[in-house]
Amino acid sequence: MRAVRWLIAFLVVAGVFWRFPLFHIVPLKQATAEKVAATFNAVQFADAFWTDQLPPSLDKAVKVEVLLPAIQADRAAARKKYARSIGLGESYFYFVSGSGRVLSASDDEVSLAVTEGGTNAEVVLEAGLIFGNTLRDGTGLLSASDYPNSQDFNDISAELNHIVETRVLPKLHEQAKVGAKISFAGCAEVADEASDLSPLKVVPIRAEVQ
Amino acid sequence: MKTHWLKLVLATVVATAAMLFTQTSFAQPASKGKIAVVVSTLNNPWFVVLGETAKARAIELGYEATIFDSQNDTAKEASHFENLIAGGYKAVLFNPTDANGSIANVMKAKAAGVPVFCIDREINSTNAATAQMLSDSYSGCVKLGQYFVKTVGKEGEYAELLGIVGDNNTWNRSKGFHSVVDRYPGLKMVAQQSGEFDRAKGLEVMESILQAHPNIKAVFCGNDAMALGAYQALVTAGKADAVKVFGFDGADDAVKLIAEGKMTATGMQFPKLMARQSAEYADEYIKGKRDFPQKIPVPVELVTKDNVGKYGDYGKK
Repeated sequence: MRAVRWLIAFLVVAGVFWRFPLFHIVPLKQATAEKVAATFNAVQFADAFWTDQLPPSLDKAVKVEVLLPAIQADRAAARKKYARSIGLGESYFYFVSGSGRVLSASDDEVSLAVTEGGTNAEVVLEAGLIFGNTLRDGTGLLSASDYPNSQDFNDISAELNHIVETRVLPKLHEQAKVGAKISFAGCAEVADEASDLSPLKVVPIRAEVQ
Repeated sequence: MKTHWLKLVLATVVATAAMLFTQTSFAQPASKGKIAVVVSTLNNPWFVVLGETAKARAIELGYEATIFDSQNDTAKEASHFENLIAGGYKAVLFNPTDANGSIANVMKAKAAGVPVFCIDREINSTNAATAQMLSDSYSGCVKLGQYFVKTVGKEGEYAELLGIVGDNNTWNRSKGFHSVVDRYPGLKMVAQQSGEFDRAKGLEVMESILQAHPNIKAVFCGNDAMALGAYQALVTAGKADAVKVFGFDGADDAVKLIAEGKMTATGMQFPKLMARQSAEYADEYIKGKRDFPQKIPVPVELVTKDNVGKYGDYGKK
């Protein structure tokens, strides 16, 4: 009789542990795979963003022939109408597109005259090493609030900059001969209201000879 | 006659007491409730400024405010949260000790209906805090990295002092800096050690780095406290003129050293701006507002000998 009671008690306890196990045994390979899957992959994300999300948004960029006169006429009004600010600081971004004639080209930049017959550089396309968050933050398509860990968000910047350096700039350097007409889209960061916007420095997303 | 004088004295005392009571009542309107300011450590003047400013702004807005020092210990931080939830605080202005380890504390407060506003340091969650005001450390250190290359040159050995390893700011700063400097293969990092965002530890680590690598041209430090410690080690070793020191924070002592030409650069965060804004957000929340952006970046500005005159007192003059 006592043995039966012990057996019943054992079965009840075993049943409880079977239903609510204290631990799970997972093969090491599976655990590693799950960890990798849970890790944010900035390379994949940036590639998908560049290929799928970015191209349709280029139409939303303000035209350079509209923006530059607007800045010249009333800088504060231009900012209000066309710029994007993030956070609490003084800096802001323009997402801009247009075309211009190459005035000069070096390893680090390509200067463009946007006005017909113009001889002054009105836009400079950054063409050397690309650093910072201008591209990530300038389009308005990505927000820090969507990323629990800001390191992931910052890794996107590094990858987008790498894409510009490897997919956009080689072609630009090849085609940017003095006198050539370049069509471009990109982002410009303005540090504060004291910044010199003549010329406007743009990190190119797209830049090709027309 | 005697009774007459006694009555006069008594009347004066009563009148004075009544006046004092009335004045006190007008000077101190009833408090709107209590706000807690939980700071990772008060062992660094930068965080003292952050905490004191948040407290002062909360008081200006009509709240009672208390600062809790977590001493960089998540267990102490957890105990503060238990106490402030039980103590009926209406909001928490929070500088976390650990991006992952502090999430549970914020969740506990959230479950108790107490909103938490993170300042300067983030937690790795977008559904725990009501809002997070975060210095854009990555961008700030990209600027520092560019200035580093400009002033140190494209070749030479350098060292890096990291902050607390579990804090996202540590890695955002380091990654921002390296996103620039690593593009120049001639710049070789010969030592990378944690100084735990602490001045004394920064001094100690720098002393040992100098023994092993006497030829470094520069040291990049993840905050100004470590940079000041590193500078002290360089002075003792007689190398203060040979090694360029880069910090981050915009601490007053660092800004003064830059003005004197003894430190090369720092990144100015704006602790007072973030602290004041967090108190204002808490006030808005208590008054009924709910739609806050989750993460609010605060740009960091590069401070060098060329523009140091514009900065001081933990911000722009």
